[in-house]
Amino acid sequence: MSRGIRFGRNQTWSRRTFLKASAGAAALAGTGGLALPNRARAQGSGLVALVHTQAAGDNGPIDSMIASLKKLSEEQGFPIRTIYAQDSATFPQIFGSLADAGAEVIAGTFNEVAEPIKELAPAYPDTKWIQIFGDPFDPPMPNVVTVSYDYYLGCYLSGLFASRVSKTGKIGYIGGVSLPPLNADLNAMKAAAAAAGGGQTVTGAFAGSFQDPAKGHEIANQMYQDGIDYIQTDAAATDTGIIQAANEGEGRMVSAISPEQYKLGPSTVIALVALDFGQSLYNEVTKAIGPDFQGGHLSTGLGTGVIDFLLSPVFEEQGPADLVAKAKEVWPEIEEARAGIINGTLEVPFNTEL
Amino acid sequence: MDDTLIAILRSGTPLIYVTLAGVLAQRAGIWHLGLEGLMIIGACAAVVGTVQSGSVLVGLGIGIVLCVLASALLWFVIEKLRANPIIAGLGLTGLGLGGTDLAVQAIYGSQASVNAPFGLPRLGDAFGQYGVLSILVLFMPLAVAGVWVLTRRTRWGLQLSACGEHPFAARSVGVNPARMRLAALCLGGVFCAIGGAELSMGSLQIFAYGMTAGRGFMAFAAVIFGAAHPVGATGASLFFAIVGALGIRAQLLFGERVPHDLLLALPYIATVIGVWISGKLRGGAKAAATFGELRDY
Repeated sequence: MSRGIRFGRNQTWSRRTFLKASAGAAALAGTGGLALPNRARAQGSGLVALVHTQAAGDNGPIDSMIASLKKLSEEQGFPIRTIYAQDSATFPQIFGSLADAGAEVIAGTFNEVAEPIKELAPAYPDTKWIQIFGDPFDPPMPNVVTVSYDYYLGCYLSGLFASRVSKTGKIGYIGGVSLPPLNADLNAMKAAAAAAGGGQTVTGAFAGSFQDPAKGHEIANQMYQDGIDYIQTDAAATDTGIIQAANEGEGRMVSAISPEQYKLGPSTVIALVALDFGQSLYNEVTKAIGPDFQGGHLSTGLGTGVIDFLLSPVFEEQGPADLVAKAKEVWPEIEEARAGIINGTLEVPFNTEL
Repeated sequence: MDDTLIAILRSGTPLIYVTLAGVLAQRAGIWHLGLEGLMIIGACAAVVGTVQSGSVLVGLGIGIVLCVLASALLWFVIEKLRANPIIAGLGLTGLGLGGTDLAVQAIYGSQASVNAPFGLPRLGDAFGQYGVLSILVLFMPLAVAGVWVLTRRTRWGLQLSACGEHPFAARSVGVNPARMRLAALCLGGVFCAIGGAELSMGSLQIFAYGMTAGRGFMAFAAVIFGAAHPVGATGASLFFAIVGALGIRAQLLFGERVPHDLLLALPYIATVIGVWISGKLRGGAKAAATFGELRDY
């Protein structure tokens, strides 16, 4: 019996012929694929790409960056592409393909994109690279901008605020994954509680994921049951579960990260350690497509419009009257601390060790 | 104590429903690694269906229909296209994770998490502190008992086991193994939809991309740990839920002294140990020899 593959009435290919033909087709497709980006590069697409390494849908950083990029694209009329890259092994390929396709600006998020950018940026000197939330490159590269955020300074203010508004003196912190910047946030809250005096305690926990609202909900529930009445979130999409847990009891407060989260807990999201990643990306891409682009590192802290500690205006309207009154009463002290951090009279330790 | 029990039931119930789906598939001879994908389809459909229709029942119904269809697709790929069940199951998981993300983007124009205005009905004040749990928690023991009766005390259940263990023998007495597998997978699809709905609508009322966070794979591990016995696998699921709750408690109590990452890994360490013990007790090497192969001879 023939063991070939039948094509039409009288055409039967042997398995070997079929495999050879398949390999030939694959090689042809591969060659075509290589040629296509070169043609795109020759045309100069003006493409701005964002490679985000956390999923969108977090009501926070990623959503904010995508929205800002869309806004800038509509204002300036350039094409954009946003790509969710989960697997670090694929980063070089994704970045390389975008550069080959003639992208003018490629932005990547968080520390994990540093190595592929270091590797590829010298090979694509005409492409401008932006790393959102990364350490400075040593030595710096002329076509790469790295941006870091002193989020821990906002967490310090949150810890100070929590120490003043908490009725139980028990404060919580829930992070996504124990990473050096998040450890620094937790330590800043502890430093603030210690500086406030009065014996407040700060308990930290990590959900192990930035995308597990159920776990966030469970951790927050256990914290609230232990008497903690103020939780600082630092866990992207996991935050939604934490806010949900706060909504299930009286006198529970949450400090979140994005104004998008006000609506999730109008009477529980009391404040934000706001980090406007969207605004930051908007600023950097605007510089990158302009004539005055310069590579280097940008450290973003309080007073830059990107990081701040804000009292929720929604909470002021819909929160419990006693907590709203207390928050307003202590706010001048928070403003004073913020001013101290900005002018350098108040120094907040940056400690990444737990 | 009550708080801990509530936490265990809250995190264990979705896992148990999905585990029951895995039990049915395993008894039919299929290593079901698509549980994660089916679970997230159920979670997404429950929330999106509720938001779009204004009815939890409609949302749950949509989830059940989609999960049954996806299960039928898995059966078709395994049974008719002769694909390896392990690979096909992983493909279904990818389809579920990617498909739900695409669906949310197509419907709402963004990948943002979807919030439902209300969740599944709660048990209510009559159950005291346990009133915060959803009614699916109450139905869970009934589902376990139902699957136990179905698989251990009915002709259909014995035929299903025969199809999984020795399809040739089953066929020789007039049983169609392919049809039995289809029924087992589709019934499992119903359980996955319920488990997913409990995860997203039981206490959260939220759907976020990837929110199952590996629970489907833990359910699969529970099936292996519990030797595909409905009660044993349920016990394994509860064990994982207990270890998970204790992991959180340990973080709050010992987070200052013990690395958080180690405490977070406790459920997974327990899973590996559980599967290892299970293999030792029942001759794991023998089971591994036929790992993933659809026996149809």
